[in-house]
Amino acid sequence: MDWLEDELKQALGRKQPSPDFEARLIAAAAAAGRRSVLRFPVLAMPRWLAAAAAVLVITGAGAGYRHHQGEAAKEQVMLAMRITGQKLNRIQVQMKGVRQ
Amino acid sequence: MKLTRTLVLTWATACALCTILWAQQFQFNLDHLAAKASDSVDVSLNSGMLQFAGKFLDGKDPDEAQVKKLISRLEGIYIKSFEFKEEGVWSQADLDRVRNQLKAPEWSRIVGTRSAEDKETLEVHVRNQNGKVTGVAILATGPKEFTVANIVGAVDLDSLADLGGHFGLPSMEKGTEPQKKKK
Amino acid sequence: MLQTGCEFTELMREHRAMVFSVAYHFLHDRELAEEIAQDVFLSLHRNLAGLQSAAHAGFWLRKVAVQRAIDAARKRKRRPQVALDDVAEPVARAAVADPMLGETLRRLIATLAEAPRMVMILRYQEDLDPAEIADLMAIPVGTVKSHLQRSLALLREKLARRGVGEK
Repeated sequence: MDWLEDELKQALGRKQPSPDFEARLIAAAAAAGRRSVLRFPVLAMPRWLAAAAAVLVITGAGAGYRHHQGEAAKEQVMLAMRITGQKLNRIQVQMKGVRQ
Repeated sequence: MKLTRTLVLTWATACALCTILWAQQFQFNLDHLAAKASDSVDVSLNSGMLQFAGKFLDGKDPDEAQVKKLISRLEGIYIKSFEFKEEGVWSQADLDRVRNQLKAPEWSRIVGTRSAEDKETLEVHVRNQNGKVTGVAILATGPKEFTVANIVGAVDLDSLADLGGHFGLPSMEKGTEPQKKKK
Repeated sequence: MLQTGCEFTELMREHRAMVFSVAYHFLHDRELAEEIAQDVFLSLHRNLAGLQSAAHAGFWLRKVAVQRAIDAARKRKRRPQVALDDVAEPVARAAVADPMLGETLRRLIATLAEAPRMVMILRYQEDLDPAEIADLMAIPVGTVKSHLQRSLALLREKLARRGVGEK
């Protein structure tokens, strides 16, 4: 590595965000939970994970791959149930508000 | 030979019909929103995937046990959910395209709420066939969000209502009678 | 499966500098970088149940930070112009200790096109090799190497014109 690359490493060294970053983030995460706003995870499979799954199949590690698939399917089901539960809860909250 | 061929064709048709019947019960037509969403969820679980997933659910965990019981009678779960950074990304036409399909005779809207304050709309529709529930549709919209869910199969409405009691949420109240749609 | 609560806080503390710095060095805008970093961690908070391990979380965070920073740059619809006029001229050929050189380099990086800019950040901030960068940005390894080569050459040229270079 030459002098420029050394300088670049120093110049592009990691910096910390502002001191209140953590407090603001925790507050935002808590507020998001309280609002029951629809926030659903994106379960996009990273390329490296998809590639690893393919390698398992090719090398014949079928049982391991099957387990991985099963766990992934289970997570999808749990996600679906969380989404549905949140929406139904939201309906209940609104209905209660109408009755009061 | 002719009888065998007839039987094979009948069986093949029945299988195809089953596939059609137990697939998603209405079209979402929301792919154009995916490109504009800041976050999106796309769940598409057919009967085979649900059964497969069920084997990995832990019966000792209360949440997973409840879910395992619920999905044992389901034929599919299909959800599309979008979140946007700005308001005005989805249109009334997007919602109407879904709603219009739920005006078919076999569907009944059992819950509909609208919050003027939050500008949220929430609806639950139930699909009935021969006096039995064969599907549930949930529509949920807000200024920056759009969700459609279709749960296919012999949905246990009580269990579905109990779902609100899991994952740390309070329970949904039961006892809402399905309303017959006026044509 | 990761749980919420303390794991989220631990992950945030471990990776906040990385996430913030990717956005900051890419956009050269501290306020916007903080906004993006907050957004990335809120996404982590929503996705925790889907992540498999702490290592997976780190990779995920870096990838999302890269995507969000690029999205933010596109929304701005401008490339920051060379701001060397705003920077005092170095009075001598730079030694490694030149305090202005770091800022000069950061400004120059910020003027690169999006793809080579992010490649440079991932290479020199995150110390990723070209294959890792290619995988993260979903571009060919050859393209990564080309971006690195050309960006370094461009930086050398710009610095040389300003009298900054190896002794």
